[in-house]
Amino acid sequence: MPAVLVAVLAVFPIIGIPRAWLLYLFLFFVYLTMANMWNLLAGYTGLTFLGPAALIGLAGYTLVIVTWNDLPFYLGIIGGGAVAAAFAGLIAIPTFRMRGIYFAIGTLVLPEVLRNVFYIWKPIPGDFIGGGAGYIIKGIGGLSLTEFYWLALAIGIVSIFVMRIVLRSKLGLGLAAVRDNDRAAASSGVNVFALKLYAFIIAAFLIGAAGAIFYIYQGSIAPVSAFNIRWLMIALLATVIGGIRTEEGPLVGAAIVVFLHFLLARYGELSLLIQGVILVIIMLLVPEGIVGLVRRKTRNYQSLSQLGARR
Amino acid sequence: METLGDLSRPILMGILLGGLYALIGLGLSMVFGVMKLINVAHGDLMIFSAYFAYALMTTWGIDPILSLTMGIPLWFVLGFAIQKYMMSRAFGISMEAPLIIAFGISLILQSLAQIIWSPYSRGLQAPYALGYISLGITTVPRTYLLSFVAALVVMLLLREFLRRSYLGKAIVAASQDKRGAELVGINTGRVYAFAFAIAMATAAIAGVFFGLTFPFTPTSGFGFLVVAFGVVIIGGLGSMLGTFIGGIVLGLTQTLSGHFLGGSVQMLFVYLIVFVVLAVRPQGIFGR
Repeated sequence: MPAVLVAVLAVFPIIGIPRAWLLYLFLFFVYLTMANMWNLLAGYTGLTFLGPAALIGLAGYTLVIVTWNDLPFYLGIIGGGAVAAAFAGLIAIPTFRMRGIYFAIGTLVLPEVLRNVFYIWKPIPGDFIGGGAGYIIKGIGGLSLTEFYWLALAIGIVSIFVMRIVLRSKLGLGLAAVRDNDRAAASSGVNVFALKLYAFIIAAFLIGAAGAIFYIYQGSIAPVSAFNIRWLMIALLATVIGGIRTEEGPLVGAAIVVFLHFLLARYGELSLLIQGVILVIIMLLVPEGIVGLVRRKTRNYQSLSQLGARR
Repeated sequence: METLGDLSRPILMGILLGGLYALIGLGLSMVFGVMKLINVAHGDLMIFSAYFAYALMTTWGIDPILSLTMGIPLWFVLGFAIQKYMMSRAFGISMEAPLIIAFGISLILQSLAQIIWSPYSRGLQAPYALGYISLGITTVPRTYLLSFVAALVVMLLLREFLRRSYLGKAIVAASQDKRGAELVGINTGRVYAFAFAIAMATAAIAGVFFGLTFPFTPTSGFGFLVVAFGVVIIGGLGSMLGTFIGGIVLGLTQTLSGHFLGGSVQMLFVYLIVFVVLAVRPQGIFGR
């Protein structure tokens, strides 16, 4: 069944569905990847990581460096993921010392630092490029939305599989123990630092790769938009609306975020306002998210019907 | 002596700027200390106060500092309501729930400011805040001195309030030991709401003096949230003097790195210092 669905999704551009739909689905898969990985960190590992923009921006600039050196764009995607993962490994040493809320704020500072770095540092020197103006992405002239869509579809599916594999492995079990009580986990022989590091690096690679794919579609990158808090909002909204700590949550949440994005696009700033209101209301009224709510309702129903059957 | 003469200006400016930063950090420190919540909307609430004063200034010509007679009570009530109707519920949900709700509030305030006042940069003006004032060795903008004095006054008032009044002592007690405070009959729910309200009142004051000193846009709040957080981290919790020193450290970092390496790197150094202090000593340098 999932294989059929993937096949249908893959042939969408060939059978000629409207461009707008392809674009929605492209964004859906990019956002899904980010939300899935954010869910892995915040929901399953207990790392309230507020700096996804740092990874996405770094991956985007890696793509710039790769394509400006006349290397193929797919190396930029892999390189973007790799640089993001390396960065995650690097900052894990100082940030894992920070606990709870300190980790959240420590990682929130990272995109701010990097944005200022990329204002000054020009990875590709030259006049009228780099700094605040940013770069265009080279070497993607022959590509169309169809190719971008396939890339996004691929990364989205990979992120779903990674979630499934990680959560069903020993790593997932260890992560759950770390999230619930890291001291107890450590005292029963779980290597807390290593497990967190693995999850962080896996998530960073996929977030970075998804970011690079987004910038291939966007065609240009600048510090203000790359190291922007908007990326965090997307990952956070999608995960929280769908249901944090549920595997299906990001699927539902990312679909709603894309839907809202386009439904509210013509209202401009009002769109952000409405997203903020939705975030607050969902968190206060349905903190377990839509998937969590549905699960609770059906579970209640099931247990009631079981009760009835037992009688 | 020549270099020293050059340096007197950035050093003095840095210290004065530090006063403003400490004022911004004060409210964040209060909420953090009492409720263990990082109010990520703090910077936006502060900027919104600057916009409120801007609206009063442009429509009725009310002096920005005078407009605080309306701004402070309004922000006080707003803070009380946010804590009572949102945060108190969020604390019962999960650890990240209050953080996410504060994010939502931040987003709402930013887009509201953008809808009402457009994304263009605005500033507050007052006749007494224009130009420069001589402080013996060098001259500084009047607004810097004004903010510094305001920060000193607010901090002294808050310190006396926390030491002498019943409510102040209750806030300190609840921040030190919630259960203990409840056992001796303190209504911690109410105390939390008052603590949040007072923090918001200081944000209202900080916003007006910030608006007098720097131009602001709807998204200015976030950068100064990081600065305020840095002040709290360097200064540690529960120490008014520490907060003040934290502000001055960041103010000096900004003006001195700007002096030696140029204006484009000054914020980079401020953020880097915040990150390094967080990594090395998360409980703060002057913290308990």
